[in-house]
Amino acid sequence: MSALALPARWPHRAYPMSDGPGQPLMAGAHAEDSQPRDVEALCEQFALVCESAVDSLEIASALEFEGWSDQAVRERYGASDVFTLAEEMYLRVQRQPAEPEPLPDPWQASKVRPALHGLLYGLPTVCFPAAAGLLTGPSVLGVLVIALLTSWAMSQALAYLGYVRLGQTDSVQAARLLRAGMLAGLAGVMLALAVAAAALPARIPAIIFGAGVGAYMLGATVLIVLRGERLLLFVLAPGVLGAASFLLLGRPPQLQHAAWGALAATPLLALALAVVRTTRDAGLPALGRGRHARTAVAAGKLLAAAELRGALPSALFGLLAAGLLVFPVAAGLPGDRGTNTGALLVSLPLALSMGAAEWALVWFRRRTQRLLRTTWELRAFAIRARLVLLAALLQYLTAAVLLTIAVITVAAETRLVQLHWTALPQIAAYMALGGAMFLALLLQAFGSRIFPLVTCAAALAFEVAGRGLGVSVQLVTCTELLFVLAGYAALVLGSAVRHAC
Amino acid sequence: MMTEGTYPYGFGGVSVWCDQLIRGMPGYDFHLVSLVASQAEPAVWSLPDNVVSMVRVPLWGPQPAAPAVSWRGGLPLRLLRQLIDALLDSSADAQRRFGYVLRELFDYSSQHGSLSAGLASDKAVRLLSNSWQERWPDSDRPAPTLHDAVAAMQLLDHSLRPLSYAPVLADIGHAVTNGLGVLPALTAKWRYGMPVLVTEHGIYLREQYLLNRRSPYRWPVKALYLRFMRHLCAVGYHEAAAITPGNVYNRRWEERLGAEPSRIRTVYNGVDPAAFPALTGEPEVPTISWVGRIDPIKDLETLLRAFALVHQRMPEARLRLFGSPPKGREPYLQSCRALAADLGIGEVATFEGRVENIRDAYDAGRIVVLSSVSEGFPYSLIEAMTCGRTCVATDVGGVTEAIGDTGLVVPPRNPERMARACLTLLRDAGLRRRLGAAARARALEHFTVDGAINTFDEIYSFLGSGHPLPMAHPEPDTGVLSGDLPRSQTAG
Repeated sequence: MSALALPARWPHRAYPMSDGPGQPLMAGAHAEDSQPRDVEALCEQFALVCESAVDSLEIASALEFEGWSDQAVRERYGASDVFTLAEEMYLRVQRQPAEPEPLPDPWQASKVRPALHGLLYGLPTVCFPAAAGLLTGPSVLGVLVIALLTSWAMSQALAYLGYVRLGQTDSVQAARLLRAGMLAGLAGVMLALAVAAAALPARIPAIIFGAGVGAYMLGATVLIVLRGERLLLFVLAPGVLGAASFLLLGRPPQLQHAAWGALAATPLLALALAVVRTTRDAGLPALGRGRHARTAVAAGKLLAAAELRGALPSALFGLLAAGLLVFPVAAGLPGDRGTNTGALLVSLPLALSMGAAEWALVWFRRRTQRLLRTTWELRAFAIRARLVLLAALLQYLTAAVLLTIAVITVAAETRLVQLHWTALPQIAAYMALGGAMFLALLLQAFGSRIFPLVTCAAALAFEVAGRGLGVSVQLVTCTELLFVLAGYAALVLGSAVRHAC
Repeated sequence: MMTEGTYPYGFGGVSVWCDQLIRGMPGYDFHLVSLVASQAEPAVWSLPDNVVSMVRVPLWGPQPAAPAVSWRGGLPLRLLRQLIDALLDSSADAQRRFGYVLRELFDYSSQHGSLSAGLASDKAVRLLSNSWQERWPDSDRPAPTLHDAVAAMQLLDHSLRPLSYAPVLADIGHAVTNGLGVLPALTAKWRYGMPVLVTEHGIYLREQYLLNRRSPYRWPVKALYLRFMRHLCAVGYHEAAAITPGNVYNRRWEERLGAEPSRIRTVYNGVDPAAFPALTGEPEVPTISWVGRIDPIKDLETLLRAFALVHQRMPEARLRLFGSPPKGREPYLQSCRALAADLGIGEVATFEGRVENIRDAYDAGRIVVLSSVSEGFPYSLIEAMTCGRTCVATDVGGVTEAIGDTGLVVPPRNPERMARACLTLLRDAGLRRRLGAAARARALEHFTVDGAINTFDEIYSFLGSGHPLPMAHPEPDTGVLSGDLPRSQTAG
């Protein structure tokens, strides 16, 4: 006899037996007596299951799950088995499926969060003019550009990886990855700066400032991904308040060192809090049952190669976005002192407007999701989705223009800068760039990652190639980028399958 | 060997079983194909040396060999239409046509690459919503929207990803589950003529029905997806050269879905007797022990309510629960603690967490209780039996087959019955000793890991040599105490 055969002895059930040696625990009510008397009553008890069952097997599953066995239904209802009983119940009850519970809307982000993000992106801009004393000497711009480009690229890639891990509801792994990624990214920025320091005749304070920019960006990325925006406000407080007071007091030389100290506090705090936060979140994972402990490998590889490849477009996009933003500032206007104050000034409202971009993105997502649920025709969906896209873009641009007007008005009133009408084309170019960045983010959120990369790279190449020709090149390039991305987005986002989530 | 969501990426009974089987058969080389949620999942088992290759098939990551946005969606319209028709048609023939289109999809994919671009395309969505509109009954049922069509095609796309992977060449395709896990075995059968063996611990389809009761999708999507699963499971049974359920109870479902009875062999899980020697003493205090994952399917509410009744009658009694909640189930543990406190047994019913040596958990109780509402062939039960501990267990899945007449079986979700059975045993040391010895004898005879491995060795050699399984010795029904047996127990 092989082991294929069944055990020879057969089950002995306790419940058909008499009460045995123990006394009955409860007088009267046995569970069976409280069970439905006939199939009709059973159908009532299982009404919800029967009304939304797709076939009789679903009812059979539910019956078995509630403890009904073939024997029990035979004794109680005379059905030959659970399946037969389920078939009868399926026929008796009219289908009236309940609508599923509405899922918690992932796009129901509070209105505060995007605004807070805008503030978090924009506030650090205040620190740059306060650090002017540090940023002297040759090649300062070169150092700053390198610091900005590398840290944007690193933080975009880091944010991508962090969100992917969080999307797998793996907060422990996400925290481990974010911490390791932050340190690796910081090492990358430092390396780039070290190379710059060796190659360029830059002064040490500028290099340190560049390192501070990188540290802040990476620490802030970790905190934002882990939803620690409030912590980040705390991180920004010393740098921003210090820098703002220093500027408003008219840059008194005796306070210069205090201001620099305040500036230095921000990146250090960002790093420290990011490390604390990730260490707290990456507590030891709970493993399964004891008997597996010996064979189980404690934890997997930190990062799969595929994930790293997936982060590459994000890193490149960060690099290109930073390039498009910073290049006009660095390239300067012909005949100017080297920096371009108009460009520097507009980059503040542009950073603030990224909050509005997030808000418009969420709005677009929610509107198109609603559209999917109320539309039956693909063609109608495509047309309406494009209208929603246009509305989202206009919302963003309106917000960006309003923010720009507000910032310029404040700057002009406080006499921080003097602005001429000649700056208008530059401002317009930045608005177009903002719109293009919004569309690029939108496309990336919908899984189209290569097209925005290619077009942004082309745009940057144009600007670099035409750097001698003044602001018109920037204006033309950014406007074209905006239109090309808008056309592509209209094409791609009109497709219903793109909106599956 | 093909797994889904288990070995070597997850914990639990099925993974233990896979590990035992592979380690127990060093004479065989194993190629693993493992369906996982995403590319990034870490393996939690270290693989034995006789695992010679491993392919990971992520169902939810980016699509394999993703082509850029494909406006035409390579998949021929004819195939898409056939697939959708087979899923919306409720005639008896639909099942056969589904099997046919599945194979066509595989053939197409092996020539043209990933199916994703075709399945998750506007073209497919348009076809599905048109077919729905044509067939939808004018009743109260909610009509499908575009969102439903998109969601349904996405689900099909992800579920059919295994078809786009190159089949593994081996002598036998052993799928450790039906459903999606059987797809890689089917592709190998279609490509290389490899015989398919399907092992089921629980019933895949039943679990799908239960899972989808709380589906976030609207009814049309749920109906379409469950139809897909039902067809797929039936194809799995139909194509299998042999089916080995982990208990007799499961045969009912397999035969219901069209499995050929002569191809079904029940193979019970086994434990290593050396790891679970007989326990000698009993705890001083009358204690009930429970071992497992803290999970709603284990129905700890009934256990706690039953123990509250036991405690009324026997105030010195204790309940000790060993195990931890899986990730995401911590709130369930909290609710159980709260229930224990409400019942006034917070002090005497203790949650002990994981134990290093699981045998200590069985040692901690005079009896071991299992309160689950659903089980295949639970390891905790046969481990406790091997230790010589008497069990009280709910009548679910293969529990009665495991316990036989060596313990007490009670209906699920019935605290009074469970309490009465516990008291019976706690009060009668002689009965405990007698049943405990019988339980150990029964486990050593029928539920050893060597027994299970020998059986699979036998099945592998039959299938590998191209023979069908020898006509089974009809599964015996001698010694039946109650007249109630699953219908497959007819002696022949």
